[in-house]
Amino acid sequence: MDSDSGRSTGMEQTLIAEAKDAPRAGDIAFERLYRSSRDDVYAYVASLLRDGPAAEEVTAAAFERAYRKRNRFDPERGEPRAWLFGIARNAALDELRRRGRQAELTAEPADLESFGSTESAEHQERRLAVSAALERLEPNERELVALKFFASLANAEIAQVLGLTESNAGTKLHRAMTKLREACDGHA
Amino acid sequence: MDTPRDDQLAAELRALRPTPRPEFVAELDERAAAGFPRRSPLPRAWFDRLQTIQPRKLLIPAGGIALVAIALATTVVAIDEGGGGSGADAPRALIQKTDSSRAPAPEIAEPSGADTAKPSPQYEGATGGVEGSSASSAGAAASAPMSKSFDGNGSYAEGSTRLHNRAVERSAELVLGAAPADVADDSAEVFEAVHAHDGIVLRSSTREGEAGVASARFELLIPSAKLGDALAALSSIDEVRSRHEATDDITAPTVATGELLQDSKARIDSLLAQLEAAETESEREAVEAELAQERRHRARLRAQLQQLERRADYSRVLVRIETGAAEESSGGAWGVGDALDDAGQILAVAAAVAVVALAILGPIALIALLAWLTHRAWVRRERRRVLS
Repeated sequence: MDSDSGRSTGMEQTLIAEAKDAPRAGDIAFERLYRSSRDDVYAYVASLLRDGPAAEEVTAAAFERAYRKRNRFDPERGEPRAWLFGIARNAALDELRRRGRQAELTAEPADLESFGSTESAEHQERRLAVSAALERLEPNERELVALKFFASLANAEIAQVLGLTESNAGTKLHRAMTKLREACDGHA
Repeated sequence: MDTPRDDQLAAELRALRPTPRPEFVAELDERAAAGFPRRSPLPRAWFDRLQTIQPRKLLIPAGGIALVAIALATTVVAIDEGGGGSGADAPRALIQKTDSSRAPAPEIAEPSGADTAKPSPQYEGATGGVEGSSASSAGAAASAPMSKSFDGNGSYAEGSTRLHNRAVERSAELVLGAAPADVADDSAEVFEAVHAHDGIVLRSSTREGEAGVASARFELLIPSAKLGDALAALSSIDEVRSRHEATDDITAPTVATGELLQDSKARIDSLLAQLEAAETESEREAVEAELAQERRHRARLRAQLQQLERRADYSRVLVRIETGAAEESSGGAWGVGDALDDAGQILAVAAAVAVVALAILGPIALIALLAWLTHRAWVRRERRRVLS
């Protein structure tokens, strides 16, 4: 169930090699990482926090933290995107901790109008069902789905972010998708 | 509605992906272009800056700071130990002092009850005036601590060796360093100093020659009351290479001998009475023989007591004037050997300071490490709990 995201694959190794060569090259590499991951990071953080303004704050803080720590990144320990999402995840979880999980109470409801008026009614209904099913998932399952479909991470990168083995991450993701599909059936 | 296929589900999920506001994106791009300028207050900014440095790179400045701290501490300790003295001369001028005074023994204090607190005429007569007072008041003085103070100029701030009525024998050994040509002049100054303080030169020998051969040696008796001043005068003759002083409390044998003398006097008086009462010639001869023996015994005791009192009244001082190896360094030339000695001392002090610093910082660092690990584990657990 690998996704084909818009990001350029294999770019990270080049970026880090440059980052190790010279500070200026490191800045350029980080900028590329930022450009390729900005929206993905926001999408992932927003799915965890379910609060737009807080997601913006946390996304900015995560990039700032990553920028400050860019020289401490060790390419031997994983992919730069996984490293960046690890930082974003910690920032988001810290925010959730700080707020005492208030996000659960202030979750934004799905906006039917935002789905677009040109789509067919069946299409809109299916999307609404998927959105509702997503809401019914456990937070950690929802995070797996977000990392896969919102952040466009590969299974290996998801495993790295969550501290799991790749096969374990794949299994958990499969279970989450099965549960999501069943929830869609229930909604239907 | 039909159950969505896998591709439809994936497509729907991607369509549900939250997207950032364009204003936020523009603002974030701006901050990224500016290198994410800090919004944090200063302390936080410093913390962030520290975080950007790789731990391996932090080791260098941390090690540098630790070395500078150790060097500073070493310097402070070395200056403190040297007392701000002038280079290599300071340690060589150290004065070694030994006090072998014994604590007063109770049996000395009360050898014969109240009688010892009051001097008897016999005892005073036997020992001769002043000396008798040391034994007569020994009982009261036995518990009094011997006190003396060294005023830093080589003089004791005491007027008599019978301090607090205790008999104290004192001795000193002084080694002076001199150039071979100065040995004769220094020897003459020794004689002058001895005479100036009413001392006695028991023995003296002077040897002329090259460095290491030329030397002088003096065995002196100095009135104990003037020992401090005499030593100060002798020390000023030339460079002091070593100085050793010792004290020995001889109150106990002095008191014991005085009491024996008293007993002997009483025995003689008794024999004299017996002699007067003797009726036959043989009886008189026997008493006279015993009387003669007792008088010899009393004479020995008196001599013994006088010797003890002389030991207390006069201090034995040995003065040696040396030339040679030590003289070379005393000439003011600070050589490689001195440098190595000083370097060794400084390294030893540095090592000691490092050990002390380690003993202090080690546990603190360990506690900090444990606290940090605990905090980290707690944060990780809390993060896991948020999504569970």
